[in-house]
Amino acid sequence: MTTHHEEELAQEFKRRGLSRREMLQIGVRLGLSGAAMAAVLAACGQAPQQPGAGAAPTAPPATEPTPVSLFDPEEGNSGWPTNAIPDPTERVEISVAHSWDAVFFERQKQFDALFMQRHPNIVVKAENTPFGEYRQKYVAQAAGNALPDIMYCQFSWAQEFIKNGLFRPLDDYIAKEKDFNLQDFTLQSLVSYQRDGKLWGIPYDEGPANLYYNKDIFDAAGIPYPDETWDLEKLKEVALKLTQGEGPNKIFGLGELPSLGDSLVAPPYLMPFGAQYLREPREDECLINQPEAVAALEWWQELRDKGAVPSPADLQNVAWPAFQFGKIAMTMQGSWATPPIRAGAKFNWDIAMWPRGPKAHVTFSAGSAYMITRDSKNPDAAWIYLNEYLSTAGQSYMWGITGRGSPARLSAWPSYLNSKFAPPGAKYVEQAMRTIASHDIIDQPTGPQVTQAAGPIWDLVVAGQLSVREACDQVFAAVDPIIAINRA
Amino acid sequence: MGGGFDRLSPRPSRWTRQAGASTGSALVHPTTVQVRFGHCENGHDHDFTVAGGCMAIQQQIEQPAARPMGKPKLGKLARREEREFYLFISLWIIGFILFDAGPILASFVISFTNWSMMTPPNWTGLQNYQRLIADPLFYTAMWNSLYFGIGSVGFGLIISFLLALLLNQKVLGISVFRTIFYLPSVVSGIAVAILWIMILHQDFGLINTVLSWFGIKGPGWLVQPQWAKPALILMSLWGAGGSMVIYLAGLQSVPQHLYEAASIDGAGPWMKFWNVTVPMMSPVIFYNLIVGFIASLQGFVLVLIMTNGGPANATLMFGLYIYRVAFQFFQMGYASALAWILLVVIMVITALQFLGAKYWVFYEGETVR
Repeated sequence: MTTHHEEELAQEFKRRGLSRREMLQIGVRLGLSGAAMAAVLAACGQAPQQPGAGAAPTAPPATEPTPVSLFDPEEGNSGWPTNAIPDPTERVEISVAHSWDAVFFERQKQFDALFMQRHPNIVVKAENTPFGEYRQKYVAQAAGNALPDIMYCQFSWAQEFIKNGLFRPLDDYIAKEKDFNLQDFTLQSLVSYQRDGKLWGIPYDEGPANLYYNKDIFDAAGIPYPDETWDLEKLKEVALKLTQGEGPNKIFGLGELPSLGDSLVAPPYLMPFGAQYLREPREDECLINQPEAVAALEWWQELRDKGAVPSPADLQNVAWPAFQFGKIAMTMQGSWATPPIRAGAKFNWDIAMWPRGPKAHVTFSAGSAYMITRDSKNPDAAWIYLNEYLSTAGQSYMWGITGRGSPARLSAWPSYLNSKFAPPGAKYVEQAMRTIASHDIIDQPTGPQVTQAAGPIWDLVVAGQLSVREACDQVFAAVDPIIAINRA
Repeated sequence: MGGGFDRLSPRPSRWTRQAGASTGSALVHPTTVQVRFGHCENGHDHDFTVAGGCMAIQQQIEQPAARPMGKPKLGKLARREEREFYLFISLWIIGFILFDAGPILASFVISFTNWSMMTPPNWTGLQNYQRLIADPLFYTAMWNSLYFGIGSVGFGLIISFLLALLLNQKVLGISVFRTIFYLPSVVSGIAVAILWIMILHQDFGLINTVLSWFGIKGPGWLVQPQWAKPALILMSLWGAGGSMVIYLAGLQSVPQHLYEAASIDGAGPWMKFWNVTVPMMSPVIFYNLIVGFIASLQGFVLVLIMTNGGPANATLMFGLYIYRVAFQFFQMGYASALAWILLVVIMVITALQFLGAKYWVFYEGETVR
């Protein structure tokens, strides 16, 4: 007996015309049990076979498994840039550290295979590490001077890693490449990777936070969907209206509220009210106890007081983002939340721009980059890889066509907007990026200490044991000594 | 009530005093793990032996004068066995030096440096140790760890002892009950954490549901700062099965004739428990106290998963703080200094426990103090 999910998977396999071998490979990658896989194959009309049974006598001998993916390997395989750096004359190996989910890593392997076809003397060895372990793993490797040639780097670590000399500056390479065009990158995407007048990493994505909303909850309440006319007052009003029910069936109007333990808090929650957390970009002064910052946080606090956002208890044991489970009417999330929402949501949803505030219309944007490390044995080959990987063609191939979203290059956005995998409101992601996205987020090396110091204080506000004003004063007292080093 | 009962404390009673003279029996499993607890006042060595469910309190009354002086001459077979012994143990010794002793010594040196792991360390002398004196989170983490240690070990000792007493009864299906009570202690830490997050859930958790039957609105166990540490202590009782098995083994080795002697003298169940069982079990209680307290001070994984030190640092245990400083702030020098301070604290507490032990731990065969 097949479950609903198994039937869905079987339908998808049939639609793509996959072979039994390919289905089995995908099943293994998805971690399906033998019984579940058998059910899927049965639903596809293909019973699982015993090894050797039913093999056609004329079938060719088994070779290496063919790459299978949800994405077409050849789609977007064109338009690669020229390289000013010549290919190595002998075979060299470059190691590249990624942090992808298992499904998207398949796309990575497709890219690498195509790259190695174009550059037969460069062997790409991809390493994939879960995000939660990534930073520790590679800092430990840095201690042993054993970093890979190229590594992924999130915005929040970049300045610390650059400051500690983990990466090589890329300006000289960029200057040699006539096709590179640094102006093609969104301004926000470059901020975290510049230091001392040099560029140390090439961003691959930079996504804005948007308002995701559950259309079914809006329809049930007879409330029109969010649009360009919305401001934060309207957001609050609708969030309160949509909050209803009790216990497990409760619907929350909004998914989250600002926390001073969050490095992304300022643009969407404080800057619309003319306030700021730390003075950006140097982060050398704490502004959280200024009257406008306190007033902004008190304004948001009303939603918590009226039960319109889930409590920490409500979010215990709930996978991120909680919006995907259908009990939250609206949530503010970065564009990278789209894949899990698309995979998990069993309701109609869409995206709108984050509403304007009384003083400004702002949301945050954040992203990640790839760097060539100081320990690279083959920096020239690493640059050739990076130049193609993060070119318009590369970004389209990896993040545009796949609907992953928010490529750092403006020229790669059309491939995202036209992707069959992009969410319906993808145009608002681009619009937000072009018009209201701010990278005034906490990204200096002192960032983790700032958020770790402020977070526990803000916990007391969430628990109702400290007023917003008191918390802001305490956060200032805790944070100011930490960021004193940035004033030097 | 018969006369001669020691009513004030579980000190050795006259029955247990007799035991030392009359019982030299020891239940020793071929594969035993011995934990040496030192000397009694008479200079006797005492070993506490735990072995696959069999435990014995083994007294070795050694006669120094009888010990052979110098290395005895070994025969051919003995020399071969000696070589094989060193050959087999060498793998462990090499592993210990490379993966334990080396890093331990390295961390001591690192504690005098400023090291981010990304650049070479700089020697800073005692700066890291001076810094922790002024670090409020150092005191928060230390207080949280001690609170949790005292709470979890205190309740754990009592609960596991009571469970062992219950499961030491001769009733039908007792093996099944023992298995059931022991099972939770073999469940992996991650699974335990997830399970207890659900059990302690404010709205849907089992505990608050039961409390609601009595009209009590349960707290937000893991989300309210004042309840987070008690919640973790409550959760720690889940693993009481491990200590329970050790107690159970100890209970089964208490000589029956002590109870018989107490019964003849008119002792009731409580007197037998207080004057026979508890003194005879005191080395086991002491063992569980030492091991449990050290483990609780080093507690890390469950806290990381369940609360990550929150809310409001209410569950920021010392181990978690070291991890945070080391792998989130990359201040390896300071983290190493914290780790060494933790070691010193554990050693001091353990030493105090040993000092206190002579007032309440009774070793079979000891003379009365």
